Amino acid sequence: MALPQTQVGATDMLSVSNLTTSYGLIKALNDVSLVAKEGQVTCILGPNGAGKTTLMFTLAGILKPVSGSVQFDGIEIAGLGAPKVLQSGLSLVPENRLVFPLMSVRDNLMAGAYLRHRSKRIEVENDLEKMYERFPVLKQREEQNAGTLSGGEQQMLALARALMSRPKMLLLDEPSVGLAPKIVDEIFAIITQVKSEGMSIVLVEQNAIKALQVADHFYFLDQGRVSFNGNPNELENEDVIRRAYLGQ
Amino acid sequence: MEFLQTSLDGILFGSAYALLALGFSLIFGIMKRINLAYGSSLLLGSAIAVWVNEHIGLGPLGLFLVTITAAALVNIYVERLCFCPHVGKTGVTASMIASFAIWMQLDEISSQLLPQRTHEFPGIEIGSVEIFNLYLRGDQILNLWIAIIAISALFLILRCTRFGLLLRASADNPETAKLLGANVSRIGIVTFAIAGFLGGTSAFLILSSDGHVTPLFGLWSTIKGLVAMMLGGVGSLVGAVLGGLLLGFLEAHTTNLFGAEYRDISTFGILFLVLILRPGGLMGVAHYRTDRLAHERI
Repeated sequence: MALPQTQVGATDMLSVSNLTTSYGLIKALNDVSLVAKEGQVTCILGPNGAGKTTLMFTLAGILKPVSGSVQFDGIEIAGLGAPKVLQSGLSLVPENRLVFPLMSVRDNLMAGAYLRHRSKRIEVENDLEKMYERFPVLKQREEQNAGTLSGGEQQMLALARALMSRPKMLLLDEPSVGLAPKIVDEIFAIITQVKSEGMSIVLVEQNAIKALQVADHFYFLDQGRVSFNGNPNELENEDVIRRAYLGQ
Repeated sequence: MEFLQTSLDGILFGSAYALLALGFSLIFGIMKRINLAYGSSLLLGSAIAVWVNEHIGLGPLGLFLVTITAAALVNIYVERLCFCPHVGKTGVTASMIASFAIWMQLDEISSQLLPQRTHEFPGIEIGSVEIFNLYLRGDQILNLWIAIIAISALFLILRCTRFGLLLRASADNPETAKLLGANVSRIGIVTFAIAGFLGGTSAFLILSSDGHVTPLFGLWSTIKGLVAMMLGGVGSLVGAVLGGLLLGFLEAHTTNLFGAEYRDISTFGILFLVLILRPGGLMGVAHYRTDRLAHERI
């Protein structure tokens, strides 16, 4: 399968080719190829069970692919395992936040910078202050257990925790899931802000309308395959959603 | 006065139980699995130390160091064999049954190392102290200090170091810890090694105040550690310390009141009462209300 055409200009940060991941005999990802460019938001859309989370887990090194390659910032990261992938600069914010409920907000953030603690203690402390500036609510709740935060606050914490590892690219898995519409708007405002600071983002979303508002490019995943991809400007949102969910 | 004296004796001895329970609780808190071979690992650690002592001779400090090192190594062996292969899978029962099998193996090796049933475990001779008509055995005061140092060291490691942060993160949510770059295999080894050091310290304290070691020590310490952990609250480290002290306290008083032959019956009776009134143990309830993950895994 040929690599899909994307915009010219920005360089490829992440390029996935012919990636296949299985759970036993079931292929959850089947020959997936895609490209995410530097400084852009690349959006992965698709219905439940399309393989979006499997794709995220495979990129983050949690799952080992059966075949295919993942080039990130010039190195091959497929099958390297989570610690090395994180070290190379790719950081995942998992679905449902998955904060450490019994640890304080501060410890959650410090755990995000775990791999940098030994060598860059002072830098980590500075980054912590920066996160508190960006998310003042986390500063307020610094000593509180993360399990006592609201859903939106936990999502901010998960995002801040991922940023604490100073990634080159963020993988966001369903940041809006289970949140009230007003909070979803807040989260997307933060995503836009992080992007404007030059962060490259791969965003998985079920909320297609919201996602297409921030996306520079999107891929549609269906039953483990990329069924089509494009640029949100080229298509009306309604067309994308119609093609995607109704198969027209 | 007699009540005070008995309580003091109980709490002094309970400090060793607290270390035993801490080892169990640490393994349970981080791996969410019960290690039934724990007591036998400590027995084998002590048996190795006694064997070395009988062949080349060790001072008290040497005996202590060999006991805790051997206990930690045996514990790592148990981890590699019974727990490591099941991490991240639904192997809760598999780990427990495997640890049961290893228990038998470790007991057998210990009996081979120490063929006669009773071997001398040299203690430290310190005279007793008298304060306000209360008699305190010198070696037991030393034991209390060693226990306090070991417990403080554990809490310092967990609170203030990078590795402690990672251990707490893995206990809280192992999948996410992996995501943040935790090496799960190494966490297992270090957890079991720390539990071995704690348990080895406890074994040394108990055996040196008894003055001898028998192959029954494995089963005995597994039961005492489990009971102390359940009293305090499963998976809670503060609870483990409290549970250990409480167990020592209760045993001293029931021995004093009803005689040594009723000690275990009364202790188990109290454990049942606690479990009926507070099923999570003394410190366990608040912990478990929020710990959904641990709930699902038990």
